[in-house]
Amino acid sequence: MRSPDHAWIWLVRKEWRELLASRSWWLFLLLFGPLVGVTFISAVNSYAEASGYRGSAAGVGEAFSPLIGIWAPTFGACELAAAFLLPFVAIRLVAGDRLSGALKLEIQQPISPLSRVTAKGVVLLAGWLIASLAPAAAIALWLSYGGSLHVPELATVVLGHVLNAGLTIALAFTAASITTHPSTAAIVTLGVTVGSWILSFIAAVHGGRWAIAAGYTPTAMVAEFQHGLVRLDVLLIAFTFILTGLGLAAVWLRIGVAARRRTGESMALLVLMAVAMYLSTFVSPSWDLSESRMNSFAPADERALRQIRAPLQIEAHLAPEDPRRADLEQRVLSKLRRIMPKLKVVYVSNTSIGIFEQTSAHYGEIRYELGGRRSVSRVTTLEGVLESIYSLAGIVPSDGSESEFRGHPLPVPPRGAALVFYLLWPALALAAAFFSHRRRS
Amino acid sequence: MNGVGSNTVTETLLRVHGLRKSFGPVPALRGAAFAIRSGELLGLIGPNGAGKTTLLECLAGVQAFDAGEIVLPAGGAARVRLTALLFYMPDGIAPWPDQPVGWALDYALGFFGGQRALLPEVIRELSLRPLLGTRISALSKGQRKRALIGLALLMPQRVLLIDEPFEGLDLRQSREVAAVLRTHVSRGRTVVVSIHQIADAARVCDRFVLLNNGGVVAEGTLNQLTSLAASRLGGVPCGDFEEVFLALT
Repeated sequence: MRSPDHAWIWLVRKEWRELLASRSWWLFLLLFGPLVGVTFISAVNSYAEASGYRGSAAGVGEAFSPLIGIWAPTFGACELAAAFLLPFVAIRLVAGDRLSGALKLEIQQPISPLSRVTAKGVVLLAGWLIASLAPAAAIALWLSYGGSLHVPELATVVLGHVLNAGLTIALAFTAASITTHPSTAAIVTLGVTVGSWILSFIAAVHGGRWAIAAGYTPTAMVAEFQHGLVRLDVLLIAFTFILTGLGLAAVWLRIGVAARRRTGESMALLVLMAVAMYLSTFVSPSWDLSESRMNSFAPADERALRQIRAPLQIEAHLAPEDPRRADLEQRVLSKLRRIMPKLKVVYVSNTSIGIFEQTSAHYGEIRYELGGRRSVSRVTTLEGVLESIYSLAGIVPSDGSESEFRGHPLPVPPRGAALVFYLLWPALALAAAFFSHRRRS
Repeated sequence: MNGVGSNTVTETLLRVHGLRKSFGPVPALRGAAFAIRSGELLGLIGPNGAGKTTLLECLAGVQAFDAGEIVLPAGGAARVRLTALLFYMPDGIAPWPDQPVGWALDYALGFFGGQRALLPEVIRELSLRPLLGTRISALSKGQRKRALIGLALLMPQRVLLIDEPFEGLDLRQSREVAAVLRTHVSRGRTVVVSIHQIADAARVCDRFVLLNNGGVVAEGTLNQLTSLAASRLGGVPCGDFEEVFLALT
């Protein structure tokens, strides 16, 4: 009998051939280029126009960051592909073995079930990286236009999308190993994706614990990476999800083990996952790798806020759908949480939209409590909130003499991009599929 | 050809006791018990639904069984030891359908650590050469069966469990495959086949395990089973193996 190490290498080689033999993979590759092309071309056009191209007001693009103007929308294609194309490739890789009967043969080689799943995962991730040549082509085009590139923020975006692909792969593997038919697995996978969107919607309406849970959905996770923010808790939770998904797939691919035992093992895994995720929420380190430091306060403010040792509580009387609440949360509180881990934020409202609470005397108030001292304000801007906190803490921030991010306007249209993504990419994908098929036979 | 008693059968490789398996409320195995001996071609005989495939899959660890035990002579039956002893080739599968036969054989040799030296011989014996470049999904049922039997013969395990080895084969191919199996048994391989065509079984196997409704109703050589059937019929001798089977099930 072949040693497990050698067998694993053979398994990886076989999975690679199976991936190349899969029509779903080639279709995925074929569609991915034009998908990236649509988003990239649209983003570059908008960026150019905002930067003064074709007579639009020059200087509007002064504060433009390629991270938000180019990479977030371009890599948004990866998110779409991960949600709607990648699951089918992943499901095919797992369910194909079950349907064809190959699993009944391969299960007789006693390598660990996790090794089996890992072999598939490694191959699929490699496939994803090959597909990533499309966004890589977008980066090359951007540089050829004379665009600015801040490697740390781009790497953060790429990391976010690789993690997102990992989550999709783990979810699809789990669904394909538990269900008996690929179509059921596809429905389960898409159901979970749609479910995470519903969770985000509920969170937007009700806030509270829903909002905390929605903060860890793949969509929310990718959004943070697309803003150049790396949060350790999000990383840990993503890895926990991926490992649990692969673990569940490994458990359910052991077709020779009684279903009751596999169910018990799955429950144990889910409990472990829940504990690991709960503990991860207490981890606070995060890194703002965006060139514009869009997830951080000005360095002078950060220095001042770090001097505050007492726990700060903010009570905002704003309904979940009140735009001021979104403004406060996204522009101020998300940054404040990174600097002040002891910050406690409480939202108070009787309704979800807040329109009918406007007559209430206290609606719209932001109440601050720091070291026993209290103040009330209705200002939701960054400057207003910081002023309230400084006033309570009795500190005055030093003058911010640091250089401010001025942006990288680029009034250049996406020359050649349509040729690359709509013609060259599909032609290359088709040619590669053709030669791969010929080589196999 | 009647292979009964054509080999020196000595060592018991594996013994099955009281194997039970149900699919929901439907029992598939009801305490099946029998033995596999070294160097024999053992036929699991029974009508459709008798539990032949389930029994083979439980032995191979491809399916979990509810109760019973599989005992190796040295004691115990750790799944790893069973895996090292047995290789199971299911019926009706088309593994790696997009890959050519030649690659599938090579992969099986690499992945399972098979006997590469046997490859030319197996290709010749089963007339696989014209099929080596053909995708498995493009093979006819009979061609696929031959390719998969070839793959099983290359495996390193001492005991091969083959589900319905003659299914999809015409008369000539069935006889050729039977001859190949016998050749490998004569070299010391042990082969267990499940067959629902009783005439085929009588022609090929050394010993038989008769299954009906998930239970073993009789076990032995053709002569032993014929005697047993005659005793059940009050001394009336049976004309052929089909009558023996009907008398005992």
